[in-house]
This record gives sequence, structure tokens and C-alpha cells, in this order.
Amino acid sequence: MKGLVLSAAALVLLVIGSAVALRFYRGNKEFRVFLGAFAAAVALYAGAFWLSAPDLGFLPAGWRETSAPVDFGNGLVLLVLMFHGYWCFSYFACLSPSMSVMVALRLWGRDGMTRAEALAIQGSDQPVNLIFQRRIPKLVQGGYVREEAGGYRILAPGERVAALGSFLKRLINAQVGA
Amino acid sequence: MLKGLVLCGLLMATWLIVQAAVFHLVAPRKAFASMLALFAPTLPLYLVLYVMTPADLGFLPPAFVGADWRLGLVNGLILQGLLFLTAGLFYSHADRSITVRLLIELARAPQQRLTLAQMQAVCGVEVLMADRLEIMLANRFLIAQGERFVLTPKGWIGGSIGVAARKILRMKAL
Repeated sequence: MKGLVLSAAALVLLVIGSAVALRFYRGNKEFRVFLGAFAAAVALYAGAFWLSAPDLGFLPAGWRETSAPVDFGNGLVLLVLMFHGYWCFSYFACLSPSMSVMVALRLWGRDGMTRAEALAIQGSDQPVNLIFQRRIPKLVQGGYVREEAGGYRILAPGERVAALGSFLKRLINAQVGA
Repeated sequence: MLKGLVLCGLLMATWLIVQAAVFHLVAPRKAFASMLALFAPTLPLYLVLYVMTPADLGFLPPAFVGADWRLGLVNGLILQGLLFLTAGLFYSHADRSITVRLLIELARAPQQRLTLAQMQAVCGVEVLMADRLEIMLANRFLIAQGERFVLTPKGWIGGSIGVAARKILRMKAL
């Protein structure tokens, strides 16, 4: 139970800390903020587990796990899974094209939107729409693709990611080009 | 606590195998609904197994048996829920990631090279939004009224969550 309590406390601090940090972060590599907050939360969890009393000063005797490694490992696994869920939720809620449509419709009221208006949210009227404006520079900087003569060529790291992606799509029987 | 973890692990491993088989044999149109339908019975099954089996499962050392059984039960249930959520997110990453789709298209292109116009043609905003609008209609987040898309109550809740998350997290589209 000690691991569960400390894991929950670390997650709360992680969420608050990352939300505050994102308000001050000016770059476009938000994953660094999330990973930094996660690393701090894991360190805090491990430190608190090491330093605190087995009953945390308030847990009943029956709620104390008899094996400290099991208690610690269980709390850590839960923290990792909860962080992964929070991280994915944050990206989906803030950046997903589907969520952008729902957010716009929620703010616009009952009139709804046409397909053209849904496309315009993603910058379809711009030469390079939002989807590519965010991703291509990151793929170039990360060494996954190279810009050459008005086009883009995939590089070895990009090929590996594409191969992994194709494999995962086959695993779930999804269309490889979708 | 370890008893709940072992039972939860076994049930989730079984569910993963069955789910993978269903994806390949049936190819359900609503993938998440299929995952949820197959996962749901594992929860009562976990409770039954937890109640019917001995505290040490017949093989756990005494040092791993001892905390309140209710705590172990709830802990295993929480873990089972989180593992299902993680599996759902894994599916979503593999199926919907725009970056991965872009890289797959580049890898499959002649000479592994595409112009920006070609990239926009195969996985640009028009292609992507056509897919996403279809998925949102199929999952009843939206309904079509003439040429306009309108939120359903489920979509309204989703949109409200998005509005709140964007206010709190302040992540930028660019």
C-alpha cells in the first residue's frame, strides 16, 4: 500500500509540475517537458519510498505489504502506466486533428461545420498545412528524413521506424498505408 | 498483493492473444469496441479467480503473502484497467500515428523520395481529415446534418474535455 500511496502522490505532482512547466516552455519539443517531469516523479517516488516509514505513519498494519521490493515495483509499474496514459491523453487532447474538430464544434455552438471548415482548422489553405508544419522539421532535425531538391528522402533511422510501424500495423491487422 | 498481479498478468496475456486472433480473423470495423467487449469479461473472471484460489496460489513464497486480501484484489483490478488502457493507446499509436504513416509512405515510394505535394496527396490534411471524420461519424462523436457536422452528446463531452485540457496544458499546434 505504501507504494500505491507514494505512486499516486508522485503522479499528482507530475501532472501539476508538467502543466506549470508547459506554461513557461517556449519550444516545440513538449515531450522533453513530459519526460523531465516523469524522471523527477520517479526520483521523488524512489526517494520517498527509501526514506519514509513502512506504514507512512498512518497505514493500518494489515495494509502493509510484507515484501518491500514487491511494494516498490508495484508502485513503480503503476506510475509508469499512469504517466503513459497522461502523456498520450495530453497529446491527443491538445494536438489531435480529431480533437481539434470536436473542440472547435464545442466552442462554435450548435451550427456545426462543413468539411471545408474542418479542413481549414488544420491549415488546409496554407501551402504547408499544420500537420506537416509540425512534423517535417522534427523529422529533418531528428535525422529521419533529408530535404533535397524540392522533396524529402527517407534516411536509415526513418526506415527503421517505418519498418517497425509496418510490423505493428500488421500485428493489429491495420492497413499498412493508413 | 502479488497474487492479484499474477492473476491480472495471466488474464491480460490471454486477452491479448484472443484479441490479436480476433483482429486477424474478424477484422472488426470498430476496433476499440471489440477490445472493450473482449476485455469486459476479464474483470468478473479476475474477481472469481481471486476469490476461489488460495492466497499463495499454491506456489508463492510466504514472504509474498500477507497484506490485506482486499488491497491485493483492488490493486490487481487497477493494474488490469491500466494495462487495458495502455493496450488501447498502443493500438491507437500503431493505427493512427501521422508521423509513422508519413515515414511508411516515404519508405514505399520510388527511390524512397516524395515531393511535398506528393506527401500531401498521400497523407495530407484532406486524406487525414476524411479518415478522421469517418471514424468520428462511425463512433458517433459527430452526426451529419446535410452538409454540416454536428456534435452528438458524446462528442460534446469529448470536446469539453479537449477545451479543458487545452486551457490547462497550453501545448501548441506548432
